[in-house]
Amino acid sequence: MVLIIKDEYPDKLFREDGKRLDGREKTELRPLKMEVGVIKNADGSAYLEWGNNKIFAAVYGPREVHPHHLAKPDRGVLRIFYRMATYSVFDRKRPAPGRREKEISMIISDCIEPVLFLELYPGTAFEVFIEVIDADGGTRCASTTVASLALADAGVPMKSLVTAVAVGKIDGEIVVDLSGIEDKAGDADLPLAITWFNDELSLLQFDGSMDADEFDTCLKLGKEAAEKIYQIQLDALRSKYISIQESVNQSSNTSGGDE
Amino acid sequence: MMDVKRVISTIERKYIVNNLKKEERIDGRGLWEFREFQISTDMVASAEGSADVSLGESRIITGLKYDIGEPFPDLPDEGVCTIMAELLPLASPLFERGPPDEQSIELARVVDRGIRHADCVQTKKLCIKEKEAVYILFVDMYVINHGGNLIDCGGVSALATLISAHVPEGKYTENGIEWTGNYLMGEDIVNELPLVLTYGKIEDMVFLDPCLPEELVCDGRLSISVTEDKITSIQKSGSATFSMDEIQMLGKKSIEIGKELRNKLDLWQYKVKIE
Repeated sequence: MVLIIKDEYPDKLFREDGKRLDGREKTELRPLKMEVGVIKNADGSAYLEWGNNKIFAAVYGPREVHPHHLAKPDRGVLRIFYRMATYSVFDRKRPAPGRREKEISMIISDCIEPVLFLELYPGTAFEVFIEVIDADGGTRCASTTVASLALADAGVPMKSLVTAVAVGKIDGEIVVDLSGIEDKAGDADLPLAITWFNDELSLLQFDGSMDADEFDTCLKLGKEAAEKIYQIQLDALRSKYISIQESVNQSSNTSGGDE
Repeated sequence: MMDVKRVISTIERKYIVNNLKKEERIDGRGLWEFREFQISTDMVASAEGSADVSLGESRIITGLKYDIGEPFPDLPDEGVCTIMAELLPLASPLFERGPPDEQSIELARVVDRGIRHADCVQTKKLCIKEKEAVYILFVDMYVINHGGNLIDCGGVSALATLISAHVPEGKYTENGIEWTGNYLMGEDIVNELPLVLTYGKIEDMVFLDPCLPEELVCDGRLSISVTEDKITSIQKSGSATFSMDEIQMLGKKSIEIGKELRNKLDLWQYKVKIE
């Protein structure tokens, strides 16, 4: 894949035919692909491709807390480490974690904590490592989505999955799932996450300007989009067990043939 | 195959050693056999070159970014290529968070030296103007899963990344650097194809490409980088000692196996095509 050298913003974010620059309708999501169990060493893991975003998440835990003073005697702790690869962005990122990465780690951790039964795991930690290999807008939403999937893959008891998506405003129109360029050149960006066990919002940030009606539309479109993503998450979890079932069936068929 | 994440019990160690004494490996390989390499390249859109290489269970994703900078004063007409490795805590319970530790620095250094001393990167072609502007290439390796022998996996990963690179070509003018619209690719960047081969040693037995359980019980390792007909870099690590005869034998073997592997991987196929 070859990118243009210039990192400039276009004047318009809609094409002549009313579609967005990448050819999507206003409420259309970018192509989305998820897979669980991709990292064998981890207790649970997931991989996601969302447009040009490519993200790995791995869960280790429950295990001992380091440093020890972070452990809580009455409950477990959830620690999320969101990191970006140096080559995942246009200008090489410095290898050490920056302020942005630390903030996003905290945001994701606060977002996912409500669905876990941490009181069942006193004195331990669940550690989720998120590595963004390629970034193109909406990585915090994509990371939240993939992290919750990895926790489910690890068999951590959860009230439900969490799904995140960004809604925003570009050239005065409300659109769903902003790409990198729309995020930078657009008017507003509103990432949100839904915890499905109570249908409430657990991540909400907003940058830009919007009136109350536009805000209502955003929340509505966000929920609709999240429902679509939720189905893909469920399919990813199911397909792991379907493939295990198939391999078991196959081996039992062949062994039956031997007898 | 043993499912090992962190520790090896004494029984497992004995099992590995006894098998090696019979010239057998726990995963059914011969003593001088590599695990399967799987390579895909140029999948990271933001990078100017990338490779996703698996060697058995080990998996490393490498990307290339570039910058324009001043050359070193003692090499005024040569570009720079730096290699970094990060052992992500995501990849194994053995890896911890924090600044690079010995193990990740060793991985980056051994891969770097193999490439540097083999006349692999065409540093002279990476010069835009003498004493003023040269390309600085950053090859950054991220370990996604640790299944043993990250050095050999990283070596192929770094090389495939450099071959798949497409760096915008710049011309020096009075107004600074202007982009010609062309790209430096494949042979513009890479000349020789050095491969690094790592041998494990337990007691007096030596074998190629240790997998994770073998690596965990190894007394020591020897990594040898080879080009078509030359040895370009050697690293001994761990507490084992190697005899002169062993090292001579391994040197010859490395060139032989390296030649086979180079033909089999056919890395030039990963050069990108731009219409």
